[in-house]
This record gives sequence, structure tokens and C-alpha cells, in this order.
Amino acid sequence: MNGFFAFLKKEFFELSRSGKLLIFGFIFVLFGIMNPAVAKLTPWILEQSADSFSQGIVIGEVTVTAMDSWGQFVKNIPMAMIVMMIMFSSTFTGEYSKGTLIPIVTKGLSRNSIVISKTSVMIITWSIGFGLCFGITYGYTAYYWDNSVVNNLAFMAFCWWIMGIFLICVLTLFSAFATSSPQVMAGVGGVYAVMYIMGMFGKIKEYLPTFILNSSSLITEQSKPDDYFNAIMITIALSVLSLLASLPITHKRQL
Amino acid sequence: MSILELSHVSKHFGDKEVLQDVTFSVPEKCVFGFIGRNGAGKTTTMKSILGLIKTDGGEITICGDKVTYGHNLTNKYIGYLPDVPEFYSYMTPREYLRLCGDVTSMKSSDIKARSDELLKLVGLANENHRIKGFSRGMKQRLGIAQALINRPKLLICDEPTSALDPVGRKEILDILSAAKEQTSVLFSTHILSDVEKICNYIALLEHGNIAVSGTIDDIKSMRSEPAIELSLQNPDYASKIVKAFPSAEKQEGKLIFKNVSANQAEQILSFVAAQHIPIIRFERHEPNLEDMFMEVIGK
Repeated sequence: MNGFFAFLKKEFFELSRSGKLLIFGFIFVLFGIMNPAVAKLTPWILEQSADSFSQGIVIGEVTVTAMDSWGQFVKNIPMAMIVMMIMFSSTFTGEYSKGTLIPIVTKGLSRNSIVISKTSVMIITWSIGFGLCFGITYGYTAYYWDNSVVNNLAFMAFCWWIMGIFLICVLTLFSAFATSSPQVMAGVGGVYAVMYIMGMFGKIKEYLPTFILNSSSLITEQSKPDDYFNAIMITIALSVLSLLASLPITHKRQL
Repeated sequence: MSILELSHVSKHFGDKEVLQDVTFSVPEKCVFGFIGRNGAGKTTTMKSILGLIKTDGGEITICGDKVTYGHNLTNKYIGYLPDVPEFYSYMTPREYLRLCGDVTSMKSSDIKARSDELLKLVGLANENHRIKGFSRGMKQRLGIAQALINRPKLLICDEPTSALDPVGRKEILDILSAAKEQTSVLFSTHILSDVEKICNYIALLEHGNIAVSGTIDDIKSMRSEPAIELSLQNPDYASKIVKAFPSAEKQEGKLIFKNVSANQAEQILSFVAAQHIPIIRFERHEPNLEDMFMEVIGK
């Protein structure tokens, strides 16, 4: 257990010294501020663009509510996820290609500890970043408008958070055998693409992790939390399976 | 008692049989030279000992515990210095040693004391910069320090001197000699002079087998007799001597007599004196590892 915590500490140290922590912080805070800011500025932007048309387009009164701010949140969070996946795609492969794990593994640190501590760091970083982005959006939205008009806000946030955890676990799985970060990204992207395509056919889509992304319709009450029960259970199961499968593969990996 | 024992270890990569039947053991508190040509299988053997490579057959035990591929339990006895050590470049040497100490569950105060002691031993005590700017020699020295941090019973070094300049090499050899007081050292190399300087045991790996192994004195005595080198003032006399001693070989104004006993050496010297042949030098060459190495690999 000591080895696990020592490696966990090293991972956070690496995030901080490499500047990645700063970039993560910047992105999540930026999106957190942008969500209400873009919503607030929407009437002004529309006015400006209407003026630029020589014919003149008549734009009626635009009313912005908390709903628009959260609409922006749902649009921006996937961007933050993609940036995070790119940044984390080399967390394992970088160490394998440089050989930096060899001195550590030959000291007797188990490979399970390495996989679990690296995954934990990604999950913790994602959770804090997501919480920060959500908190800032919530605060500004409450200041300008009224969050109470938004339905199922906490549950919607939970759905997106779970999606992030799922992607991190898939990233860990692909990192167990991939030799470079582009391979890891292709693997995660491939899994997403396959699920997206599968979701086009019939009822199966309600059981796929990608279905969770429809949870943005929760806030407008176009769907209800119960609709997502199956997809969430499957997503949690697939996340755990990905993580468990990555362990024996990492054990057999030549360093 | 042996710290490390390899018994009939074999390994192939595709069609290539890298290790056929490797058997040797490393005793306590010694410097064990593991010699072989480039590509002889030294690194494969070492990685097998560390459980980083799956062997096809045979058994490896460290302090009586069997090595299992993928599980690193026996590595608690080992400190390892890879041929090209790579560390986290954003850390300072002290921070890296702290990580190594933490990983091996050492006490915080012990890590501090041990880091000070080892950084002094390897000459990096005043180096507070990040590892990023370190030269290869500095990385090798830090590599030895990290390998020794948890007082391992066996220190394994993979060609620690191969890529270093003469000064760097001497420093590493001195450090390894000093480390012998604390642990057994197994180091692979193809630089035979390094082996002669610090090793007391050696094993020579050739074609996937241990061609010879034992104490360095035993190995040297396997070569029967020393050689005599005779430099002549006038090369014209060479043929006269060769006529009397047909085993002599002419080499650029010199004559070489291989495997010469003390009695034969006396005869050569008496002949030269009796014939009044002017000489520049009469020199006796002790058999060295290089001769033995060349003999074994058939060159």
C-alpha cells in the first residue's frame, strides 16, 4: 500500500511540474466562466450580427435564462473531455517508451499499484476539474438568473461525470497494450465511434454509454432520470471491466 | 550461501535461441563480472533475473525465492541499474531517491540519511538541479544511488561503463568496488580490463551458454602458461632463433613464444646469450582475460 501512495504522490507531482495541472485548471475554469458569459452575451452578439447584414434582419426580443447557461455547459464539457483525453493519452505510454518505470518496477512496486494509481489520478483530476467547471457555472448562473428553472441539474451533472470516468477507464485499458499515445487516442475514439454507430440501430441505444450524453434533455424535462438507469449501469459495469482487464495485460507487458 | 542462482535457463525470441542453458550462481559479498560479446544475451539474462522477461525453461532463485515473470516480489532483494537509465526528468536527485525509498516502504528519516550517504558516494551531493540536464555519466551515478537505496542484497548493473569516457568509467568502477562492502554486485560488460580491475568472480556467456565461470584466479590459471615477447636489435637474427625454437612467431621485429614454461624461458634466454644476439627487451606476459576471452570465442 505504501508503494501505491508513493506512486500516487509522484503522479500528482508530475502533473504539477509538467504544467499539465495548470492547463487543466485553466481549461475547466475558462469553460466554467464561458458558459454563463456566452449566454449573457448572446443578445448582444445577435444584435451585432443582425447589424452586419446590409438588408437588415429583424431580431425580436431575445430572453436569456439559466437554461441557456446550462445549454452552454453541455456544449463545452465534451471539449474539456477531449482535451483531457489527449493530455492523459501519454500517461502510460510515455513511461513505457522512455523506460522510466523499469527502476520503479524492479524495486518491487506491483504493476497493479501503477495502473490503479495512474487511473486514480486521472479520475481525481477529472472530478475536481468537472466540479470546478460545474461550480463556477452554477455560481454565475445563480447570480445572473435563477437556477431553479433548470430541472434535474445534479443528475445531469452526474451523467456527464460518469461518462468521463468511463472514458478514463477505456483509456487505461488501451494504454495497457498500446505503444504510443496516438494509438491510445485512436482506441478511445474507436470505442466511442462504435457505440455511436450501434446507437443508430433500434432499442440497443438505450443500453449504450453514449446514450448518457442525451442527458442534456433532462434539464428541459424532455426526458426523466429513469430513462438513463440502464445506460448508467452498463457504463459503470464497462468501466470496472475495462479497469480489471487492463491489469493482467499490464502484467504480461514487456517493459 | 548463494544470493542468486540460475539453473538451466533458456529463452528464445522467434527463431533465435538467445539463452540455451545458462547455469551459474553469485555468492555473497562479491563483484561478479558477467562477460559476453554484444548480443550474447547478457541483458536478456539480467531482465530474466528481474522478472521482466519470461524465460522458456530453467529456474532462477534469489535468496532462495523463485523468480516469477510479471510479479516482482523477488525484486525486493535487488537493486537494478539499466544500461541506459531513465529517470523522471522533472525531479531532482533527492526527490527521485525519496520516491524510490517510499516505493520500498523505507522510513522517512532513513530515506533522508541514506540519500545523503549515497549521493555523497556517487558524487552528486551538491547537485540540486533537476535530472533533465544530467549527462550520461551523472545518470549512471544516480542510477547506482537509486539501486542501492533500500540496501539490496544484490546489485545488478547492465553495462554500466560501456558508454562512458575513461574518467567516468573509473568513477563508476570505484563506486561499484565500494558497494561490494554492502551488497553482491553482478555487472555485465564486454570491457575486460574493467572486469580484471574489480571482479573476483566471472562468468562468460557465449552462444547462449556459460562457457566458463569461477573465481578470476581460477579462470586465469586455466590458460596454461604465460607468453614471452622478445624484441631484437637486429631483425636479421630472427630466423636463427626461429630455427632453434620453431614455435616462435615473427611479429614486426619481435618474436612471440606462446605457452612458455619457466624452463623453456630459461632455454630461450641461454640461447640468446650463447649466440651473442643483441636484444632490446625480453618480456614475460601473464595470461590475461582477453587471451582467455579470445580463446573461448575461438578468435
